[in-house]
Amino acid sequence: MIWVTWRQHRGQAIACLALLAALAVYAIIESTSMRTAFSNDDLAACLARSQGTGCPAAVDAFMNKFGSEVNIAFWSVALIVPGLIGVLVGGSLIARELEYGTWRLAWSQTVPRSRWLAVKLALVTGGLIVLGAAMTAVITWYRAPMDRLTGHFLHNIYDFEGLVLTAYILCAFGFAVLAGLLIRRSIPAMVAAFIPWLAIRLVVEFVLRPHFMTPLTIQGNCGPPNGCGYGIGTVPQATGRIGDWVLSINGNTITYQPADRFWPFQFIEAGIFVALTAAALGATVWLLHRRAAWTA
Amino acid sequence: MTQHDADGSVPALRTDRLGRRYGKVWGLRDCTLEVPAGAVAALVGPNAAGKTTLLEMIIGLLEPTEGQVSVFGQTSRADTAETLARVGYVAQDHPLYRDFTVADMFHLGRAMNPSWDQELAAARVDALGIPLQRKVRRLSGGQRAQVSLAMALAKRAPLLVLDEPVSSLDPVARLEFMRDVMASAADAALTFLISSHVVSELERFCDWLIVLSHGHVQLAGPADDLLAAHRLLTVPRATPDAELPGTAIHRTDSDRHSTVLVRAGADQLAAQGRPGWQADPVSFEQLVMAYLQRPTTVTTHDDPAPAAERPGPNTKAVPR
Repeated sequence: MIWVTWRQHRGQAIACLALLAALAVYAIIESTSMRTAFSNDDLAACLARSQGTGCPAAVDAFMNKFGSEVNIAFWSVALIVPGLIGVLVGGSLIARELEYGTWRLAWSQTVPRSRWLAVKLALVTGGLIVLGAAMTAVITWYRAPMDRLTGHFLHNIYDFEGLVLTAYILCAFGFAVLAGLLIRRSIPAMVAAFIPWLAIRLVVEFVLRPHFMTPLTIQGNCGPPNGCGYGIGTVPQATGRIGDWVLSINGNTITYQPADRFWPFQFIEAGIFVALTAAALGATVWLLHRRAAWTA
Repeated sequence: MTQHDADGSVPALRTDRLGRRYGKVWGLRDCTLEVPAGAVAALVGPNAAGKTTLLEMIIGLLEPTEGQVSVFGQTSRADTAETLARVGYVAQDHPLYRDFTVADMFHLGRAMNPSWDQELAAARVDALGIPLQRKVRRLSGGQRAQVSLAMALAKRAPLLVLDEPVSSLDPVARLEFMRDVMASAADAALTFLISSHVVSELERFCDWLIVLSHGHVQLAGPADDLLAAHRLLTVPRATPDAELPGTAIHRTDSDRHSTVLVRAGADQLAAQGRPGWQADPVSFEQLVMAYLQRPTTVTTHDDPAPAAERPGPNTKAVPR
């Protein structure tokens, strides 16, 4: 069954490796220029000395040059990539067998279909975890200078570091496998899985994530003339520390999530998506097992 | 419940009041039949008669709603390795993975079947001149059928189930395919159950006949015995069925004569025949057609003809 799974998914595996290679090439080019700029402007020393307040010109220059790495436009495109990977791999896993009638071949060998599915899910899930971890590692490495300026809570950083990127891929995969069994056609299953994945993804990002833990408040000095900014070029954040996530500013009261909550937040969010994955795959296993009793 | 034939041997296949319901509709109901070991059995019926439903339950792909299947005396449970191992299956349209090579398909067979016979599989395609490295999508329909058959045979299961194996093939490929099946049956003492909606495809090859329509078995038994037990009578048009010997199965009236396919032994014919009546042997196709046009009765080979007639339990069954 391991060979069978490999033979059926090796095209996808090669495509994923190609994607990873392209990402790595981009990362090396971008990271080289980012690291050069970072050291030329002596930003490391400035950050250590004053959290960036002592060298606004250098910070501005860096953010002008590389700010597009973390802006919302980049994010809104990058956002869908994990979902696409997940549904492309998951959508065909069962649906293609049903579409082409090969389920009669696959499930009439001396391997019960529940075992057939369990082996496939285990191996493909494993492959996606490796892919997710590798993508995360590459992205985390190449944006390291940026992270030192902005922290890890910006959308386009948080969503591609730590654990959540892998969890997003798995969730889309789980939804697509289940949709494939229910809809019995690959492409409609991919679409049907992607839409709820994206909806949940956005709700978690914008509605739930700010409240994973109770936000803290701090009194800032936000009156004129200096004011308090939110923008991604604002270094440090209004709290005066790099990496804090400012949720709102009301007068001088700043509500925020502190930078050191990055990992707890990652665990919470990855937990949500892994739980959704487990629910979808569990339902698939159960439905496929029951299928012998329902319909051919 | 006995698992044995009258003569004590274990049948290759036995179904006992087997039924399968889809929602409120029965796709197959009250299906009791036996196929002895070594038979090449034809399962004949129109499209949507319940043939695929029956075959899928025999293979273990589908769980019966009622009744049970046993293969060589072992009761089947759907989707278990033990049940799946006992039956080789060639599905309708010969599904194979299009981007696999023939060698890949055999690798899959080896990976998924503990008793896989790689030599047998390779020898079969070699004999047919099918290159092992050719992709499935580049095979002809006949070659795909042969690869499917090779995989089913290499599984080394004692019972082989072929669902409409030749309906997608051209006449030459049909003949070659059926000859191969016959040769395998003779060589390896295998039992075959072959479904078809075209009777003439199977006539020359099968020694056991099962006629299925409207979700019920209409006729089942050794082909020669069934042929011998039926006659095509040509009688004057006015002759009522009651005056005919045996049981009238199907009647065609023309201007002056009626042609009636009857189930009657030679002794009944001799006793009840009249001057001017003509009694001819029936062909395989005539026999099957007569039973297919009589949708709601059940007859098995070992029952005396009149007593065998009983109404089906659900005459309104609509096959899926």
